[in-house]
Amino acid sequence: MPPSPPVTATTRIAAPPEVVFPYFTDPALIVTWLGDRADLNAQPGGVFAIDVGASPARGTYLTVEPPTRVAFTWGLPGSETMPAGSTTVEVILTADGDETIVSLTHHGLPDEDQPAHKKGWDTLLSALPAAIKHR
Amino acid sequence: MPRPKSQADASAPDAVLRALADPHRRQILRLVQGHEMAAGQIAARFPLTQQAISQHIAVLKQAGLLTERRDGTRHLYTLRPEALDPVRALLAEFWPDALARLKDAVERAHPPQETR
Repeated sequence: MPPSPPVTATTRIAAPPEVVFPYFTDPALIVTWLGDRADLNAQPGGVFAIDVGASPARGTYLTVEPPTRVAFTWGLPGSETMPAGSTTVEVILTADGDETIVSLTHHGLPDEDQPAHKKGWDTLLSALPAAIKHR
Repeated sequence: MPRPKSQADASAPDAVLRALADPHRRQILRLVQGHEMAAGQIAARFPLTQQAISQHIAVLKQAGLLTERRDGTRHLYTLRPEALDPVRALLAEFWPDALARLKDAVERAHPPQETR
């Protein structure tokens, strides 16, 4: 079975990276598009906590380089086999004229680097809560 | 490639998601990933009645998340990894949807301006 690629997504936004970047680091701004409540400490090692209804996503910021790069872990609290945050979401903001290209990559999802399903399930379940609520 | 497994499973995400919406059921799946466990062994790991565990197992089975094998009088359960596919597909849709909301949020708050 070949490794499955990370989940990726991109969008183009009619605003410069300086405007877009805080939407990944400011609790009041992130909840306009992701989750209902956020507790964010946007510095490496700082908390990344989003509640989507009753579903929490938890992690820590890994990289905070305004206005072009931000990365955070993403996981499910209360998992015995996986502490919150064994998947990683990496976001690159690239200026294009007056606009920003947002490229998001979610690493660490099932089978990316392991033939076994074990890690895949843990990480997928960890990434899942917000995905369920937002369908 | 023997058969298009993920295609067949793609119609099942709702049952899978309902089954996954309960923390006890998610914990059961973690217990039985990669090896078989009897219902009694599973129940011993939870502060729940055997009956409650049996109901959780039934929901997981119905969603296709568990494979059942009989060994004498015991029913052994293990995770059915293929059931992952529709859920992974859901997650693959999650971020594009989220970024679309991000785009809307930013552009509403910062309407594009005329060139100064």
